[in-house]
Amino acid sequence: MKTEKVHLALFAEDQIDQAAEAIERLRKFGIPDQNISVISSVPYSEKILGRPMSWTRIPLIAISGAVVGFLVSLLLSFGTPLLYPMTVGGLPLLAIPTSIVVTFELTMLGLLISTFIGVFVETISPSFGPKGYHKSISDGSIGVLFICPLECDERMHASLVELGARLEHYAEEKLWL
Amino acid sequence: MAAEVKPLTSAELYSAHEEDPREQLMHDPRPRQELNDMVMEAMTTTSKRYWIAVGILVVLVAVCFLGAWGNMIATGIGLAGVRRPVFWGIFIVTFVFWIGISHAGTFVSAILRVFKAEFRRPFTRAAELMTTFGLAAGAMYPLIHLGRVWVFYWMIPYPNQRWLWPNFRSPLVWDFLAITTYLLSSTIYLFLPLIPDLAMARDRTTGIRHFFYKVLSLGWRGTEAEWFRIRKAINIFAFAIIPVMFSVHTIVSWDFAVGQVAGWNSTIFGPYFIIGAILSGVSAVITILFVLRSTMKHMDYFIRPEHFDSLGKLLLIFSFAWAYFFFNDYIVTWYGGYETVRAVLTMHATGPAAWVWYTMLICNIVIPWLTLWNKRIRRTPWVMFIITLLINVGMYMERVTIVPLTLGHQRSPFDWGEYVPRITEVSIAFGTLCLFMLLYLLASRLIPLIPVWEVREGQAAHTLRKVGKTTIPSVSELD
Repeated sequence: MKTEKVHLALFAEDQIDQAAEAIERLRKFGIPDQNISVISSVPYSEKILGRPMSWTRIPLIAISGAVVGFLVSLLLSFGTPLLYPMTVGGLPLLAIPTSIVVTFELTMLGLLISTFIGVFVETISPSFGPKGYHKSISDGSIGVLFICPLECDERMHASLVELGARLEHYAEEKLWL
Repeated sequence: MAAEVKPLTSAELYSAHEEDPREQLMHDPRPRQELNDMVMEAMTTTSKRYWIAVGILVVLVAVCFLGAWGNMIATGIGLAGVRRPVFWGIFIVTFVFWIGISHAGTFVSAILRVFKAEFRRPFTRAAELMTTFGLAAGAMYPLIHLGRVWVFYWMIPYPNQRWLWPNFRSPLVWDFLAITTYLLSSTIYLFLPLIPDLAMARDRTTGIRHFFYKVLSLGWRGTEAEWFRIRKAINIFAFAIIPVMFSVHTIVSWDFAVGQVAGWNSTIFGPYFIIGAILSGVSAVITILFVLRSTMKHMDYFIRPEHFDSLGKLLLIFSFAWAYFFFNDYIVTWYGGYETVRAVLTMHATGPAAWVWYTMLICNIVIPWLTLWNKRIRRTPWVMFIITLLINVGMYMERVTIVPLTLGHQRSPFDWGEYVPRITEVSIAFGTLCLFMLLYLLASRLIPLIPVWEVREGQAAHTLRKVGKTTIPSVSELD
C-alpha cells in the first residue's frame, strides 16, 4: 500500500521569499531535503532557497573528454606518420609546432562535445526525489515539490496555504520520449 | 546673498544627463507570462510579407547558389575567374568573410557572458544563431573552391587503400579541424541555453510543434539540478569556446601567413584577422537586430536603443583596434624595404583596383570614427543599420585586398594580372548570402529568438535604488 504522496506547492513569480520559507517549514515538518525539489523558470541559486548544493559530474566528464581528444590528437599527429613514414628531405617526420594546432583543436573538441554528452546523459538519466511538473512553471510560478506521508497532509497544507501557495496533486505528464 | 536653487524634477534630471533607467529593458520588467506570450507571438506569427520573403529567397538560393554551383560542377571550374596569376578569388574572400561573421555569436554571447555584461541578455541567441548559419555558409566554400567537389572526401582524414594517411600537420587539415570544432561547439552552445525556452514553447504549443519542442527540450522541468547542470555546462562552454573562436580565425589567417607570398607572410596576421572578424561580426549582429526589431512583433520591447548604443561603443573600439592592427601590419612591411612587398602595398593604394582599398579604409575607419562617438547616432537604430552594413562592405573589401589583389602582384612583374570575378562566382557568393538569410528567416519562426529566461533572470536581478535625490540602477548577483 502506498503511504507517501507527491505534492506541488505553487507560488507566484514574486513569492520567492515565501517559497524559501515553505521549504524551511517542510523541513520543520520532518521532510528531508532529498524529498523536496524546487522547479522554476528562472535559475534561483541554492543559497536563495536555502537548499543543499546540487552536484554534477559534468566538469569531470568534460575533462575526461578533453583527455580523450588530446590522446586522439597525439595518435593522429605522431602515430600516423609512424604508421606510414614518408621522409622528405630536410623536413622532420614528427614536427611538434604544427602538431600543436591539431592537439589544441581536438582537445577542445573533446572537452566541448563531452560537456554536451554529460548534460544529455544526466538529463535523461532517472533522478531521485519527487517528480512532477505544472505548465504554470514556465509562466513564472515557483513550484516546491515534496513527498510526505499521507497522515501529515492537512497540517502541512494549511501551513503552505498560509504562505500563499496553491497546492496541486496531479498525474505526472510524460515530458520526453 | 544666497543664490536661489530650484531642484530638478526627475524628468529634467534624466533629460539633462542620461536616459531614465526605467527605459532600460532590465528596469522595465513584465510578468514572465507576458514575456512568454510576446516571444511566442513573434515566433508563430507569419504574415503574407514573411512568406513572400521566404519564397523569393528560396528562388534566389535555387538559382543563384545551387544553379550556379551546379552549372560550375557540370562545366568546370573554368567558369570562375580564377586563373594565373590569381588562383584564390571570390570563393576564398567570401569564405573568410563568413568565418569572420561567425565570430559574432561567440563574442557577443560568450565573452560578454564571462564579463557579465548585462546588456547582452536579449540578443545573445540572435548572435549565436548568426554564428551557426555563418559557419554553415562559410564551410561550403572549401567545397565550392575545390572545383571537383565529388572528390571532397579526399580532404577528410582517413587512410586510403595503401594506408597512406593524410598529413594532419598540413594547414588544410588545421582548417578542417578548426571549422569542424567551431561549428559543432557553437551549435551546441546555441542549443544549451535554448533548452529552457524550448520547454516554455513545449508548454504552449500543440501538434507537430509541440512534438518538436518536446523532443528538443529533453524533458526539461526547471529543477534545481537541471538549472545547476545547464549553468555549469554553459559556463564551461563560455570559457572554452573563446580560445576556439580565436583559434579559428587565426588558423584562417595562417592559410595565408604561413605561405611565402609577399604581403601575406606576416606575424601579425592572426590578431589582425581576429579583430577584423569581431568588427564585422558585431556589425552584422547590429544589422540583424535592426531587421528583427523592424519586422518581428514585440521585438521593440526586447531590443532597445540602449542595445544599439552599447554595441555601437564596442564597434567604435573594434574599429580603433582594427585600424591599429592594419597600420601596424602596413608600416612594418612598408618600412622594411622589401621591394616586392612594397610594390604590393603601392599597387593596393595606386593600382587599377585602388578603389577597393580606399573603400575599405573609408568604411572601416572614416565612417565609424565620424559617427559612432555620437550617442544620438548610436541610439538611432536605422542609422546604425546603415553604418554596420557599410562596415561589412569595408570588411569584404579588406578580404578582396588581402586575397586576389595581393596575389595579382607578386615577385615577377611579367606575371602580374588583374582579377575580375565572373558572374558564376558573384552569383554563388550572393546565393550564400540568400541562404544565410533564408535559414535565419526560417529559424526565427521555429525557435524563440529571445532567451526569455535570461531576460527574466536579469530583470529579477536589477533594481532601482534611491540615492540622495536620484534613482540609480543597481544589479545583484542571483547565482
